[in-house]
Amino acid sequence: MSTAQVVSLGFNWKSGLLAPGLLLAASSPLFAHNIEKHFKVEPRSVVTIHNPNGKVVVKAWTRSEVMVIATHTSDKVEVDAEQAGNRVDVTTHQISDSASPEDLRADYQINVPEDAELQIHDDSGEVSVANVMGDMNVETVGAGVDLEDAAGYLTVKTVGGSFQCVRCAGRLEVSSISGSFKLLNLRSYHVHAQTSKGNILFDGEFLPNGIYRLKNYSGVIEVHFSPGDSFDLSATSLKGKVNSQASLTPPAHPQRVYSKFGNAIFGTFNAGHAKVELSSFDGTINVLKRD
Amino acid sequence: MATITCNDFQAQFESPENSPRDSSLQAHLRDCPKCRSFVEDLGLIRAAATQMAAAAPEPPERIWVSLRAQLEKEGLIRTGEPKKSWLRELLGGGLSPLPRPVLAGAYLAVLLAVAFGLSGPINSRINRQRWLEGTESSTNRLSADLRPLEGHLPVSDSPVTASLHKNLEIVDNYISLCENSVREEPENELAREYLYDAYEQKADLLAQLNEQ
Repeated sequence: MSTAQVVSLGFNWKSGLLAPGLLLAASSPLFAHNIEKHFKVEPRSVVTIHNPNGKVVVKAWTRSEVMVIATHTSDKVEVDAEQAGNRVDVTTHQISDSASPEDLRADYQINVPEDAELQIHDDSGEVSVANVMGDMNVETVGAGVDLEDAAGYLTVKTVGGSFQCVRCAGRLEVSSISGSFKLLNLRSYHVHAQTSKGNILFDGEFLPNGIYRLKNYSGVIEVHFSPGDSFDLSATSLKGKVNSQASLTPPAHPQRVYSKFGNAIFGTFNAGHAKVELSSFDGTINVLKRD
Repeated sequence: MATITCNDFQAQFESPENSPRDSSLQAHLRDCPKCRSFVEDLGLIRAAATQMAAAAPEPPERIWVSLRAQLEKEGLIRTGEPKKSWLRELLGGGLSPLPRPVLAGAYLAVLLAVAFGLSGPINSRINRQRWLEGTESSTNRLSADLRPLEGHLPVSDSPVTASLHKNLEIVDNYISLCENSVREEPENELAREYLYDAYEQKADLLAQLNEQ
């Protein structure tokens, strides 16, 4: 595997040596630190990104190469991108003890092969991934996560960040405390989404033998279905409401109602090929027909 | 004297009066209001069953004399029969076509039916109490495990730390709501599941905070 090709942009050391005034100007936020690196990789490469604060945008391309473009304005951090075998590690390091949260900000634009596996940790900022088909693990605190046309085994964990997944396939597991989820045009066979305070919107396909578990404590769980869908539904809210527009065939065996205070709906829609389990502590569950 | 749990007490309660564990049972009964209530409820069942079997007061002597004379006149009884109460008369005489084992079985069935009728609500209360104790035992352990982590949380201006603290408050609030829900319906599996999930989230948040 070839070594990295480094392209440094922005700083010209000769200019910095000319006058103290230029040195002072160079340390101002107006002068961003940019770095661009390229790494040749084999199929199924692994890319890890650790960035405390900032934007991380990952896109797939057809080259067998990982390209990292990093930008940061503070000189209290530095960005590293290194390759070890078929793995590329991208890290934002704090090099000063007196760095503020804004000083730690670094933004990344990363291009990867379609089959790359991603491990992303970005506490605050934003994470956006498009067209990557490899497995993915994303962890943030406040950063929102946006996946498009992703596939594979997708695991996302946020504390307060929101999550949106559009046209995703494969297996999806997402959890949050106060983040809301939007799962749109999904073609996943396994979805497990759990948030405490946030809302969950599911508008995707119910694949045969698929399992779809959506759970929250409070907020709204909204699921859309079409007349041609086929699923077994179990929708329970311990202390809230459950509304369903689906005409369900009642189960053959009486279902246990979990709470005398809440509501529950059980039944089969068409042949019941997929399994849909919706539960909320005191929120509202709506199962609505698509327009 | 060895201390015993409520489960042990209820299992050993029916043992004979001269049981070597009797003093332990008494000591537990003194200290445990729940088990005292349990004993009182069983006493009520026994009293009700005893009343069912209690003999009715004997009718006046003249009634027997008159009845005997009438029965002798009709040739239905022989002389020398001992006097009986009306209940014994009913059980031994009025129902005499039925064999005694059948009578005893019917009598026992009635007693059992009364006992079951009264035991339903008591069993339900005992079951709820057991569910609640089991859940509280688990969550007390979890709380104890998490307490040391809560005592050393970092305080910082960073938005990440602030977000973690804010979400920790959200989870603590949900733990409180879930605990109330479990107390209302201890046997509700979903309520317990939500409570345990909330503790898991809390542990996760505390771990993240301690890494800051």
